[in-house]
Amino acid sequence: MKKLYESLSLTLAMLLMLASVALAQDRPVTGTVSDETGAGMPGVNVLVKGTPTGTVTDVNGKYSLAVPANATLVITFVGYKTTEVQVGERTNIDLALEVDLTSLDEVVVTGYSIDKRRELTGSVSTVKTRDLTVAPSGNVEQMLQGRVPGVTVITNGQPGTTSQIRVRGFGAFGGNQPLYIVDGVPTDNVNFLNPDDIETTTVLKDAAAASIYGARAAAGVIVYTTRKGKKGQKLNITYDGLYGFTNPGSGQDMMNPTDFAEWTWNAQKNTALQNGTPVAKQLSDFNHPQFGGGLTPVIPDYLMVGPTVSGFSGNVDLAAEKLKYNVDPRLGSTYQVMAANREGTDWYKEITRNAPVIRQTLGFNGAGENSRFYVGLSAQDQAGILLNNSFKRYALRVNSEFDVLKNVRIGENIQATYRSVLGIDGDEGGQGVAANENDILSAFRMPSIIPVHDVFGGYAGTAAKGFNNPRNPVATREGLGNNKGFAGSAFGNIYGEWDIIPGLTARTSIGGTYYNQHTIGYSRWQYENSENNSAFGFNQGQEYRFGWTFTNTLAYKKVFGKHSVEALAGQEALNTGAGWTTDQSGLNPFSWDPNYVNMSNVTRNPATSFQVKGVNFSSLFGQVKYTFNEKYIISGVVRRDGSSRFGSNNRYGVFPAVSAAWRISSESFMQPLSFISDLKIRGGYGTMGNSNNVDPNNQFFLYGGGVPESSYDITGSNKSATTGFYRTRIGNPDAKWETSVTSNIGIDGQMFDGKLDVIIDIWKKDTKDLLYQLPITATAGYNAASPSVNIARMLNQGIDASLGYKGNFTQDLTFEVTLNGSWLHNEISEIAPGQTYLTTINPDFRGIQPIRNQLGKPISSFYGYKVAGLWQSPEEVSAAGGDAFQSGAAQGRFRYEDINGDGKISDADRTYLGSPVPKFTGGFNFILRYHGFDLEGYLYTSLGNKIFNQSKWFTDFYPSFQGAAISERIKDSWTPEHTNTDIPIFESASNFSTNTQANSFYVEDGSYLRFQNITLGYTVPNSTLNKLHMTKLRIFIATNNVFTITGYNGLDPAVGGAADTSFGIDVGNYPLTRSFTAGLNLGF
Amino acid sequence: MKKTFKNRAFWSVLMTILLLYSCSDSFLEVPVTGSLNQALLSTGPGLEASLIAVYSQVNGRANRMGSPSNWVWGSIRGGEANKGTDPGDFSDINPIQRFEALPTQGVINDKYNANYEGIARANSVMRLIPLAPEETQVQKDQKVSVSAQARFLRAHFYFELARGFDKTPYVDESIDVTGGGVEGGIEDVPNNVSLWPKIEADMQYAYANLPETQGEIGRVNKWAAASYLAKIYMYQGKFTEAKALFDLIIPAAYGGTGGGKTSNGKTYGLVPKFADIFRASNDNHEESVWAYQAAAGTGSINNANPEFDLNWPYNTGADGPGNCCSFFQPTFEMGNSFRTAGGLPLLDDGAGTYAPGYNLAANELKTDMGLESKDAFTPDAGELDPRLDHSIGRRGIPYLDWQDFPGKAWIRNQPNAGPYETKKYAYYKTDKGTLQDNSSWTPGYTAINYTIIRFADVLLMAAEAEYEVGSPTRALALVNYVRARAANPAGFVLKGGVPAANYVINPYPGPWAKDAATLEKIRFERKLELSGEGHRFYDLARWSGVYGAPASDYMDRVINAYLTYEAPKLPSGAFNGTTFTSPQDRFLPLPQGQIDLLGADVLTQNPGY
Repeated sequence: MKKLYESLSLTLAMLLMLASVALAQDRPVTGTVSDETGAGMPGVNVLVKGTPTGTVTDVNGKYSLAVPANATLVITFVGYKTTEVQVGERTNIDLALEVDLTSLDEVVVTGYSIDKRRELTGSVSTVKTRDLTVAPSGNVEQMLQGRVPGVTVITNGQPGTTSQIRVRGFGAFGGNQPLYIVDGVPTDNVNFLNPDDIETTTVLKDAAAASIYGARAAAGVIVYTTRKGKKGQKLNITYDGLYGFTNPGSGQDMMNPTDFAEWTWNAQKNTALQNGTPVAKQLSDFNHPQFGGGLTPVIPDYLMVGPTVSGFSGNVDLAAEKLKYNVDPRLGSTYQVMAANREGTDWYKEITRNAPVIRQTLGFNGAGENSRFYVGLSAQDQAGILLNNSFKRYALRVNSEFDVLKNVRIGENIQATYRSVLGIDGDEGGQGVAANENDILSAFRMPSIIPVHDVFGGYAGTAAKGFNNPRNPVATREGLGNNKGFAGSAFGNIYGEWDIIPGLTARTSIGGTYYNQHTIGYSRWQYENSENNSAFGFNQGQEYRFGWTFTNTLAYKKVFGKHSVEALAGQEALNTGAGWTTDQSGLNPFSWDPNYVNMSNVTRNPATSFQVKGVNFSSLFGQVKYTFNEKYIISGVVRRDGSSRFGSNNRYGVFPAVSAAWRISSESFMQPLSFISDLKIRGGYGTMGNSNNVDPNNQFFLYGGGVPESSYDITGSNKSATTGFYRTRIGNPDAKWETSVTSNIGIDGQMFDGKLDVIIDIWKKDTKDLLYQLPITATAGYNAASPSVNIARMLNQGIDASLGYKGNFTQDLTFEVTLNGSWLHNEISEIAPGQTYLTTINPDFRGIQPIRNQLGKPISSFYGYKVAGLWQSPEEVSAAGGDAFQSGAAQGRFRYEDINGDGKISDADRTYLGSPVPKFTGGFNFILRYHGFDLEGYLYTSLGNKIFNQSKWFTDFYPSFQGAAISERIKDSWTPEHTNTDIPIFESASNFSTNTQANSFYVEDGSYLRFQNITLGYTVPNSTLNKLHMTKLRIFIATNNVFTITGYNGLDPAVGGAADTSFGIDVGNYPLTRSFTAGLNLGF
Repeated sequence: MKKTFKNRAFWSVLMTILLLYSCSDSFLEVPVTGSLNQALLSTGPGLEASLIAVYSQVNGRANRMGSPSNWVWGSIRGGEANKGTDPGDFSDINPIQRFEALPTQGVINDKYNANYEGIARANSVMRLIPLAPEETQVQKDQKVSVSAQARFLRAHFYFELARGFDKTPYVDESIDVTGGGVEGGIEDVPNNVSLWPKIEADMQYAYANLPETQGEIGRVNKWAAASYLAKIYMYQGKFTEAKALFDLIIPAAYGGTGGGKTSNGKTYGLVPKFADIFRASNDNHEESVWAYQAAAGTGSINNANPEFDLNWPYNTGADGPGNCCSFFQPTFEMGNSFRTAGGLPLLDDGAGTYAPGYNLAANELKTDMGLESKDAFTPDAGELDPRLDHSIGRRGIPYLDWQDFPGKAWIRNQPNAGPYETKKYAYYKTDKGTLQDNSSWTPGYTAINYTIIRFADVLLMAAEAEYEVGSPTRALALVNYVRARAANPAGFVLKGGVPAANYVINPYPGPWAKDAATLEKIRFERKLELSGEGHRFYDLARWSGVYGAPASDYMDRVINAYLTYEAPKLPSGAFNGTTFTSPQDRFLPLPQGQIDLLGADVLTQNPGY
């Protein structure tokens, strides 16, 4: 890595040497430019200050130049400090360049313009492409986790999943995903991007930075640019390969068959205790179909011998049984023989696997005399740890630019992508997986005594009596094997640029996105479960979308002495995407052979289809920036947007912002503080808009209907229904933009010669006119969508900090550390008058309603009864008032806190139980370099968030689904002999005091620290590369998700959700598990 | 040079302006797709289609607890069945069957919302009617027809609310949300007036304006309105008005002079075989006064009795219907009720504590409680009402055309819910795949019409009315018509060609006096005939004067006797420590979410919550 510049610059050097013109000068100067190790540096620019005269160093770092008298040489090279040398009388000047540790001259792409970090007045963060490529994620947005202060990323382990990406909190009740800009074209999705194609990633956080995107900027803007050819560059071919696999790790601890039987018995004994029934009577009344009705359970040899015999011990004539065997429900009654698995089935292990991943990118970039190009060809093929869960992406990117005239350029950036994500679960592209009763939950609900297969090879399952209703998750996963699905898409733009006069550039760009998707899926006719799907199903779906963006800008930049002025004016019109979606499904083809099945061969259900027209935006924007002496910077930006989402009354919104910066380190009074190399104070104030969280139809009163909602068999046919119409939407023609008022104060500082880099921002984002789907009285009908009105308010505030330090232990051993942290406070600060919570959002998980979006509390907060402890004795219960105090109170059950002190537990005693919004997220990155070796590590932490561990409802309460698997935790449950515990008594009763209420038992601390990546790499030195005619050769090995430190009981503490108003609920989270990768970077 | 600059600047500015100009305001008008507006529906076909949506909502669509089958509200609370299944499965029903309802419960919201959605749809139709053209007589007639049907349905939805919640806000087509929804009348409508006069008025309009028959059987007719109106009168204790209507309804075959007939023109009558009331292939029979038209394979299980999808025997595999989930299991108490002696039920003596003879140890129905399916069991050999085996699935008796009910093997959690499964509204093996819908997660969806009012119900209400304001002799005759049908041996459940149990049922001998014992006989016949059909709790409430007739503690005595009897039968303790308390348990609480939304000053919570 240390000698990276060599590989990068060798070609450049040779090219420039050929191009350099030796001019007649007064006198020659020669010398050698060397790097910090003393090795000669090729390709370094050596210029005579104030003249176009210059040269570049040769492969050995030597240069030769004729200079006039009193000349000053300016020596520049990317990544090194620019050095000026007075030539004086010398004829030979050797010098060593110092590594530039500062980032102030970093160029930041902010969408419509490119700025130097030195001149920024807004809050902007950048991410190195290296950080995006380090782990094999299927979606580049995931890699922002912990890399950018102020950006919260909650993601899960499914390859190709979408994630919750939130820039500076949650500005609205929905639609908080940031706006993405890829090569100048806005989009809401970047899952097509190949990380190796990305050149720059910039996050615009406050109004001063993002308001140029006005009405769509409130949730932050993430700007990507992709790789391009550079002027004068010869053809450079790169290959980046990454290969590895993900290990599923181990699942939750569930009871083995013996313990399971014993605790089934304990549950009966506890029930007898609570009911005052003799234990023997309780057990004989209970009479478990597998374990019998005696005082101790008997583990049988067979769980099932045909449909009527369960819990059989002894020998079975398997040959005779085989003749009766049937697992094809089409042929009549099924007949299975299931042996008990006394060792216990590890269902998590059975549904998971070591999942391979490979990602390869071939890049070509280069330039002709009047053209530049980059071509990227990439493939990623990644399996998920769950069976039949996979992600594939093949992409071809072509970026090119041509000089038509000296001052006119045209170019294009375009990518064609094939993307396929199979076997993924969860709404919003996988984001909601944790809240679903998915196959991972099924694995923890299947009793371990059940084998995966019956004795004749069919699936085993809860068709054996006594185990309630979990479905065999192996059968479910394997049943997905023939499903197919892919999306083909194209995204990009064509642009022209005209430098009208020096400093004034006009640019026009037409961008577009085309997307189409096809899926086919099959559902099994099940037989192995207690509750079976009783038909073979086939479905297919298609959709396409086409969106476009037309952008025109005029940019002006001029320096007058100490004054510098920049101005930008622009216009943009776009459509977010119009198209159609169609779906068909049907049942029971003659044959289940996938080669036979198609939509013509099934009993079809009515097809569904709908069209969307997309949303149109029309915008004008402008920005002016004035800089005096690089010391005082002032900037103003304004954007006016019109959107078809709103009615004509309030269609347009204007979003201005102002900001200023003061380079205090340039002031003379700061000079004594010599350890400060640079210090800038920034401040910004402005507004940004959001309209994501409102349906484009919000402005209209509408009617409609569908088969599920409003059809009726008016003719009494028994087989068909006529569709009727009802009011589907109550309109609000007056809705307008949500407006986030943001203020930001920040400092950018560098100390100790740039070794220490500090960026701190203190910010506040106050969203007013928050669009909120006003709950409408039930008397108006629940089926009509209620209108969004601008009535609520949300407050987010926080501190973003980033610290970087670069240094060396010895000459050869250097290091870099980066520390990012963000503190976030989120609060719903106002809702409709007289209301204290969002009554419309009350998600239900098996009767548990854990969420309340409440005034004065963070979004998606947990709500319910606070458990004060467990009732320790019947005496304690009766002293408190028994059932009259708390319905169902009894020893070992939850004792709730009487919050309002009225001597009675009622719904008025429910209270705030915590928030899933992390209070602090941060990342820590370190790099050690020694000769060609580099060792890089990366840790991420999320602190102060809570998780509602709903999975415990299934595994920790006997009555939930009596007979399903039991968690090992239950061994610590309350009994009269074991009272020092938080886990309630394991018994039959299901009531207010046991498992039916949302309460703090389910709420766990979700804080964690994850060692996300460690990479060891080796870069072959230049001397060797030259012999191989290569410019780069690096190999590396890495481990991802090395370990996680958390107190959370569930499988993985990264619990997101599909909606911002209800997330952090873990029903069955898909974990991020350890993966091992190795990789290769080549350059020719 | 300077001039060039000016030119270039000029042209570039001009170009920009042109580009801006091209984006006119119409660019921001994007049409709505896939939806209709009011103008498109203010037409004849629009009115008809809007009316379909009202009919559609009668079963509550996806709201299991919104359906008029009232399996939780009428039957479980009435003691005919318990929740069934596991204690923790859909535990929101547990507090309901234990009479510990909380205003925050989702199931209560379901009932409230589903009916108000129906009302909103009916109101929407009523609002469209004046906007539609009425130039021709056909158009005028159509408006009357549509409004009569819409008002029939609106009366039905309010009837369900009034029975369940007592007073709820009354909203009709004259009141609506305003744009933006911030202000406007509908949110300020309090629940301080009785719904009953409004319900009566709508149903009277329907009765006066509906035709006797309809081209489409799914539409309500004049006689359905008459029967429903009579029921509304019965609820309020208006026996004279009710009797007058019953006289107009009940046809000659049942000793009357009335002209009641179904929408498809069948004169009202009792289906000869009891089981045929509940067969999809026999839908729209002469007993079907008003039924929800269910259908299979329409593309949505919402048309296939989705409210019953949990109420099937458990883990039957391919040998039984539904597979899931063992909800709605008949109670021991209900099973015992079918005991007969000399072909007559064993009733309460009317002396104080409700203690019917059928619950005496000697008379209890023998069950296989605690036995495995592989253990031997001989079913009860005593005298039984044949309707038992049409209503309750029990060990050893054929379960429709599937097989003999195997007992515990088809029961999800016997210690929690007892030995029975429900049987009415189950589909037959022969109807699998045709009159049953396979398109969802279990096969438990059927095309069996849910009969909201059937003629037996009408006859038994008429018997009550006769008892109150007419002739007890006529009441006796009416009750005996119902018993006679049940006694039809051709309708008995057979096993091996002979009756599956010792069915003995006889008509009540006359004469009947006007006394408490007679009244109990009439009331009890409703329990036997209509068990599991969602009536019982509301009947008990009606007989206790909850909706207007003279107040009594009848329901308190009946329900508490049931709870006391039932609790020790279930080892899980599902009913331990449960009592029914008046007045609070007579009505459900209003949904807390609605009170939070509208304010306690607008919505007054029912007493005790």
